[in-house]
Amino acid sequence: MDWSAIFGGSGLTVLFSSAILLAMPTALAALGETVAERAGVLNLGLEGMMLSGAMGAFLGAYYTDSPVVGALCGVTVGVLVGALMAFLSVTLKTEQVINGIAIVLFAQGITAFLFEKLFGGSEQPTIPDIPDLKIPLLGDIPGVGKVLFDQNALLYASGVIAVGVWLLLMRTRFGLSIRAVGESPQAADAAAVNVSRIRWRALLICGGMAGLGGTVLVIGNLNLFQPNVTAGRGWVAIALVIFGRWNPLLVFGGTFLFGFTDALQVQVRAVSGGTSTDVPYELFQALPYLITLAVLVIATVFARRSAQPSALGIPFRKEASR
Amino acid sequence: MRRARLRAPVAGLSVIAVVVVVLSACGSSGGDGTTASGASTGAGTTASSSEKAVKMALVLPCGSSDPWCNQGYNAAQKLKSEGAVDLRVTTSAPQDTAGASQVIRQYAQSGEDLVIAYSTWPDATNPVGEKFPDVNFATFGIKPTKNVALFDEPIYQGAYLAGMLAGGITKSNVISGAAGQDVPLCHAEMQAFEAGAKRTNPKVKQLTTYLGDWNDVAKSQQAINGQISQGSDVVLACGGAQANGMIQAIKQHNVSGFGYVSDQSSSAPKNIVGTVIYDPYPYLKKMAEDTTAGTFQPAKTYSFGLKEGGVKLQLNPQYSAAEIPPKVKTEMEKVQQEIMDGSFEVPYVPTGNGS
Repeated sequence: MDWSAIFGGSGLTVLFSSAILLAMPTALAALGETVAERAGVLNLGLEGMMLSGAMGAFLGAYYTDSPVVGALCGVTVGVLVGALMAFLSVTLKTEQVINGIAIVLFAQGITAFLFEKLFGGSEQPTIPDIPDLKIPLLGDIPGVGKVLFDQNALLYASGVIAVGVWLLLMRTRFGLSIRAVGESPQAADAAAVNVSRIRWRALLICGGMAGLGGTVLVIGNLNLFQPNVTAGRGWVAIALVIFGRWNPLLVFGGTFLFGFTDALQVQVRAVSGGTSTDVPYELFQALPYLITLAVLVIATVFARRSAQPSALGIPFRKEASR
Repeated sequence: MRRARLRAPVAGLSVIAVVVVVLSACGSSGGDGTTASGASTGAGTTASSSEKAVKMALVLPCGSSDPWCNQGYNAAQKLKSEGAVDLRVTTSAPQDTAGASQVIRQYAQSGEDLVIAYSTWPDATNPVGEKFPDVNFATFGIKPTKNVALFDEPIYQGAYLAGMLAGGITKSNVISGAAGQDVPLCHAEMQAFEAGAKRTNPKVKQLTTYLGDWNDVAKSQQAINGQISQGSDVVLACGGAQANGMIQAIKQHNVSGFGYVSDQSSSAPKNIVGTVIYDPYPYLKKMAEDTTAGTFQPAKTYSFGLKEGGVKLQLNPQYSAAEIPPKVKTEMEKVQQEIMDGSFEVPYVPTGNGS
């Protein structure tokens, strides 16, 4: 096995580009989930939001031939599913775990159904490619330039939005309210913070980010939709939020660690691949999960205190109403 | 607020109930608008277009525009339009054993004569077959049972011919294959592709990746990108998501590839050399005939190779002819003839290296 093919100059470029493409959708969804969970809502519907967003993006781009319209549709659909989750979990205060799972099942069913109704029996429909945008000067830096500054416009936008979400959550008054509502809704309520409103907004942001994740997957990467196209990325994102200890920067970094390991195992198998599979490929496939799990365990052991928002998963009811 | 608290669980439950109802409707779709909701659509329905038509149900593991499912779907529709079968279709059925088994069972319960489980689903089909001895089933697998017949998987024969062309087309002497899982169908296809390529070009090296997932287009695309970065310039896919990922990757890097199961030329007219087409039509037709005649049981493996029209290599007329050396093409056609008249047999290697 020729390791220089993977870790040599051009190999590394392929590896990192691949890692970014594989990680970005998950990273965006994971950031959205961080916002929701910091507000105290355990949103297990993330996979459904991503999938719906992916479908919205595809349909938008397919019918208008415009990736921009597609991207807007994707995010909008994500926000709408976020609103559904918020209505169930915040307004109706029903069990969050069940709401989330129901949303995933619902989204998987409805997207497959719609796709079948619209395109059933015909050939795989596709949407136009969006060209890579090379940033002058920066894109010419050897190695790094190709990886970071010669990608499609949607990936740049995603990067900017990711930073925006971090700023929003950690550096603004609104972000403070979100975190307060997740830690101690009673205290926040006493300080005249409208808990329900904050949680609603957090879930809308979460839905939008998950929708954007689905959008990034479909537009500018795959250029097509198929049932279950997100392939479990939403669930991985939820795990990565825990891995990142509800800290947006760690979550974002963790997602890229996961994406890198995933790209690495794919690349290792592509390079080493004879037709025989002497080393079971299932083992390689498990690699990203194993490494992430190991880091998770180590992080938890060394952490001095639990980072989990105290009110996570608990619907808020005003004491005064009793 | 008290009223709201009382109302909440009820509302939540009703939402879930609605979701479940919608889902059970979504699990099945397709042109026929049929449902898989079992006993309720039961045996009493007499919507048959002709008295003799076999009541056939088709359970697909993917949407009907997926390359794999598209062929099964269209073959069944063709049979239906000929009046040979009454057709009910479930698309995007759960791929896991328990989930698939449930859909298959519901069709068996609702009085179908012939249930086609169109995936490698012996574990899901055989137990249902035991429970419904009068219903005929068909799936992909290793060994037929009393009433569960099998499709054979002659795709490797077409892949061998594709490999012969690939050996001539490649300039780097590196070709590659990406498959969803290491199942016999894909394994044999990959092995035959390599064997065919080595026949026309002994220097060829093949990179093969088994993704471990039938759905993940993005990862398939990255795997194929990786192979291309290792010099591969002719790619073969096995699996719907893999084929979709391949189309994107070969277009992006402008290399060649072979389509999977249903003709993919139009998705990448400049890059697709041809498609290894698998056509289940002769299988379904024979199975329906045997069901009518009462000769389906004891079930057997239905076999339609290159000669019988179950598989073929369909070349893409838009692919630049200059890329395929005429000598290689002639040799491929010669071998194709040899396979048809039985003087040459493509080695079938469903596991391991075959040596």
